[in-house]
Formats: sequence, C-alpha cells, structure tokens
Amino acid sequence: MDNDELIAAVAGGDDSALRELFARHAPWLAARLRAVLPAADVEDVLQETFLAVWRGAGGYRLEGSGGWLWGIARRQAALWLRRRGNPAELLAALAAAGDQGAADPAEVASSRAQLADAVQALGSEGSAQRETWRLMYVEDRTVAEVAELLGVPAGTVKSRAHQIRRLMRAALGGGR
Amino acid sequence: MNVEIAELTRRFGRTQAVAGVTLELGPGVFGLLGPNGAGKTSLLRMMATVVPPSSGRIRLLGRDPGGYGPRRQIRRRLGYVPQNLGFYPRFTVVEFVEYFALLKEMPAARVSRAVATAVERVGLGDKATAKLRTLSGGMLRRVGIAQAIVNEPDLLLLDEPTAGLDPEQRVAFRALLRDLGQQATVVVSTHLVEDVGAACGRVALMDQGRIAFDGTPDELTARGEGTGAAGDAPLERGYSAVLAQVRS
Amino acid sequence: MSDDVDLDRVWIGVAAQVWQRRPGPVERAARHLLRSPGLARALVTTPSLLLGWVVATAVVLLAGMLATLGTGTPFVALCAPGIAAAGIAYAYGPGVDPAWELSRSAAVSDRMVLLVRALAVFGLNAALGLAASAASGTATAVTLGWLIPMTAVCALALAAATVARSANVGVAAGLAGWVTTVLSGQIAAGRLTAVVTDSALRLPYLAFAACCAVIVVFATRQNRPRGTT
Repeated sequence: MDNDELIAAVAGGDDSALRELFARHAPWLAARLRAVLPAADVEDVLQETFLAVWRGAGGYRLEGSGGWLWGIARRQAALWLRRRGNPAELLAALAAAGDQGAADPAEVASSRAQLADAVQALGSEGSAQRETWRLMYVEDRTVAEVAELLGVPAGTVKSRAHQIRRLMRAALGGGR
Repeated sequence: MNVEIAELTRRFGRTQAVAGVTLELGPGVFGLLGPNGAGKTSLLRMMATVVPPSSGRIRLLGRDPGGYGPRRQIRRRLGYVPQNLGFYPRFTVVEFVEYFALLKEMPAARVSRAVATAVERVGLGDKATAKLRTLSGGMLRRVGIAQAIVNEPDLLLLDEPTAGLDPEQRVAFRALLRDLGQQATVVVSTHLVEDVGAACGRVALMDQGRIAFDGTPDELTARGEGTGAAGDAPLERGYSAVLAQVRS
Repeated sequence: MSDDVDLDRVWIGVAAQVWQRRPGPVERAARHLLRSPGLARALVTTPSLLLGWVVATAVVLLAGMLATLGTGTPFVALCAPGIAAAGIAYAYGPGVDPAWELSRSAAVSDRMVLLVRALAVFGLNAALGLAASAASGTATAVTLGWLIPMTAVCALALAAATVARSANVGVAAGLAGWVTTVLSGQIAAGRLTAVVTDSALRLPYLAFAACCAVIVVFATRQNRPRGTT
C-alpha cells in the first residue's frame, strides 16, 4: 500500500496500517526532530505525533504524506516545548529544521544565527510583523488563532505572513 | 533458587505419574525431555500450581504453594503455557493477553504497555486486533506464549511450546527463551530434542516418572558417544542411550 | 544520527494506547465493587451473561408472562428456575471455559470467579423473573415463593456441573431435577404449581441448596485429583 492508502486505512481504524506507517516514517521524523531536541524528548514527541496521526488521519487531504506527517510532528514538538517553557530559539530552530534536508547540528546552529538575523529584519520586537511571525512560526498557531489574538481579520494575517516569508527568504539568502 | 523440589510424587488413581523427583532450579533455561507419558506434564502442572503433589516438598519462588496466600503470590509471578491451550474465539489477541494479565493481578495502570510489549515480542504486532478465530495454529501458540510472558514472570513454564511453529519461528522462539532465561527460570518441556540443544543450558530427561539424567546438553551428547544408540544427531543419540540404560 | 532514539520503545507507547481496550460502564462498576480488575473482567465475560443469552432469557420469560396472562397458570414461576439453572451451569467451568487450565493457574482464584458469576447470573435471572411475574399479575406469594425453589435448582445445577466438570451435565441435572419436582407436585397435590405455592417445602428446598453448596465447595477445592497425566 502506498502512503496515501495507509493513511486512509488508519482513518478507517486499521491499527496495522498505523504500524506500517510508523515503520516507514518514524526513522526520518526522528532524525529531523533529533536535530533540535534531545533523544528522550524526541521519543516523547514521536509518540505524541503518531497518536495524533491515529486520531487525525481523517483530516488528511492528499496533500503529500511526508509534509503532512512532518506538520504533525512539528506541531507536537512545538506543543511539547511550549509546555516545558523552552526558549524561543529552540522553537525557531524547529521551524527551520523543517525546511532543511540535513540534520547536522552544526548546520542547525549556524542557521539559528542566520535566523536570528533574519528575524531582526522583520522589525523591532512588538511590531506587527514580529508579533505575527512569533505567533505563526514560533508558536505554530493557525491563521484563525493569530487573527483572534491580534484582533485583526484573517486576510490581514495572511498577507502579513506572505510578506514575512518574502522578507525571510531574502534575509536567509534565497531560501535554503 | 526459584524452584526447589524434593522427592515429589503425583499419583492419579493407581498410576504414579511422577515417582520421586528432586530438582533445584535457578535462573536460566531448563529443558525437560522425555517420551510421552514420562510425567513431564504432571511435573510442570505441579510447578504451575494447577495440581498439588501427592507427597514430597515443593517450593516455588521461595514460597510453599500449599497455602492460599503464598500460592496467589506465586501465581502473580508465574507464566504458564499448557500443552492444550484453549482460546476464546471472539477475543482479539490483545484482549486475550490482557485478560490473563488482569487475572494475574497485574496493576491496571501497567497492563496496556505490558500487553503491547508481549504481543510485539512474539511477533504478532500486525495481528494485534485480529480475532483469535482468524489465526493459524502457530500464531495461536504465540498468543499463548504472549499471555505467559506479559507479567515478566520469574518462573516460566512451557509445555510443548513449539508445536505448530515453522523453523523460522522456532529460531525466534529460542532467542526469546534465551533472553527470558537471563532473569527468570524457564522450564521447557518437549519431546523435540533439537529444541533443547539450541536453547537450554541444562537438561533433564524423564522416564516413567523419574529423572534419568540431569546435566548440560553436552553431557547428554557425551552419554551417547560410542554406544551405537539410535539417533540422527548427537543429542538424540545421547537421549536414546540414557533411555536404554534406564530401562535395562 | 538518531541511533540513540529507541523507536521500538516509542512504538510500544503508541501501541499501548491504540490497542487499549476501554472497559464499559458495567465493567467499571464491577471493578469498584469487586476491587479486582481481573474479577470484573471475568464477570463481564460470563458466557451466560452475554447479550445473546440475556435477550433469550428475557424473551422466554416474556412468553411465559404472556401465557400466564392468557391462561392464569403462573408459567413464569414454572419456567424461571429451569432457565436460571441453565444459566448458572454455563457460568463457569471446564465444560464452558476453553482456557480452563490457564485459568486454574491464575492469581484470581477460580472459586471467586465461580462465586461472583453464579451470584450475578442468579441475581439477573431473579430480577428478570420477578419483573415478568409481577407484570403477569400473579399473586405476590407465588412471585416471591419461587425464588426459593429457584435457589435449590440452581444449587443442584452448579453442584452437578462442578462434580462432573461439565456445564451440560449441570444443565441436564438442573432441568431434570426441576421437572421431576414439578411433576411430583402435580401428582401429589394435583396442581402443577404445588411446588411453588406449598410453604412446607421451603425448608427442605433451602436445606437441599445448602447441601449442594457444600458439594460445590468440595468439588472446587485445590487438591482435587485430575484425570490425566
């Protein structure tokens, strides 16, 4: 069965499909998470990730299994870090880890520095851009949540996000 | 010592199934060989506290199974795979293993993890939620092993456990036995000599209710050398030689 | 890179939650009442307490109730003991439990399981029977009166089942015993219902039930010899 079929099976309550999905995808998800988190935390986050997959497989819209799975893993990791009160840099590094192919900690560290610079380019702390970035990419909230928290319409949030991506890409040197 | 037996006998009507057995077993894998009717199952059933001895002394996990309280304590730390393992057709693999975990009075909070571990350990992870009536004989045997190991027993008793397993599964099973034998006392009763050689550190040969040989597999092999006894493998020849000696 | 991440352990954590069976309300209540999750699980898996069986019992009693309303003969009082006896015999034991040998090596004592299951089956049958009997307009004396012969018949069925190690023998003994009693009542007093309404029989019934109970205790003792090597 291919990945889409497996996820559909999981949505239908097939636990052996979940097992197969785990066998295929847990290794690379673990590797990506490991770049940002210590091993024990990776285990916990991975467990929460696949439990979330089990519960939420019905929401899969054929958007590509890899991206969908990583999205869940990233959200779970963000939740995990938030609960433990970890500093924002780790959250940011998490966001960056998703866009990278390599899981090398040295690369991640240098990216963190680059990321910090790029974030400065968005504006000073507390500015609209910075706040939007913080809520959307660091705290991994949805557009609706951000709109409510900032007290602005969803459309405004979306256009700000578009601008942020443009600025970050430029600052990070052509989207690495 | 997890098992201490002295002059144990078991009588059914006029038959003496076990006619005076003395054994002391610590951690490790212990093989119980012998022809059908030798008394292996009766001995195992006494160790499983299913049947009391007719005479003699038995202590399991440092306790006397004659009393209700100690017997209950022993049974919590016991794993048993009987020769005729019945199953509940409507149950799934997980439900069956969980049922016996609960009957062994495992703390409820630990049960689901223990069940998952046991099911994966016997290689039935992809059949976990399948109903027992849909499984083959070999898979059912593995379910039986899973319920026996779910509480990580200190004393594990297996009566003809490899019946119905294919060679690949037997290899995996022996590896599992060796793994379990590191902490626990594992007693495997079988009439398949090759199972014993590969997994057991110590072997006893029973015939007509008594222990005819107690030693290592190598020592049993040595007993067969130069005697011209029947058998295709060295261990089998040792087995035949000892039996022939005892019966003469 | 991620050699230090134990994926097997992670999967066990996922599987433990995904495969976990969540007990129903009856089982949860039983866990609190009996203070033993094992005993509670054994109770809800009683063969004669499964939905099919309970529904069948209810249907038979309903038929009896309707018959009583139609003819005036207290059929419920006559049927209920027999049904209960069959249910009790099918509560536990070697004839019913395929994993009997395994159950005998479990920490939760099989006597406890037998007791709990038998009481539950008896209680359920009594409740259903009382409801059907009351609904069919039978006199109170009769309605309550048959609980005593029912106890005796159930005790007989259980004793036979545990001695013979067969649920079917238990059912046969229970039904045969009950039919014989009813018919002898018919012959002696000319009424089928004599066995239920005659208050002089109450003490003998209870004494008989007590004897059977002793037999059950004796037959389920630990060191009872088994027939095979």
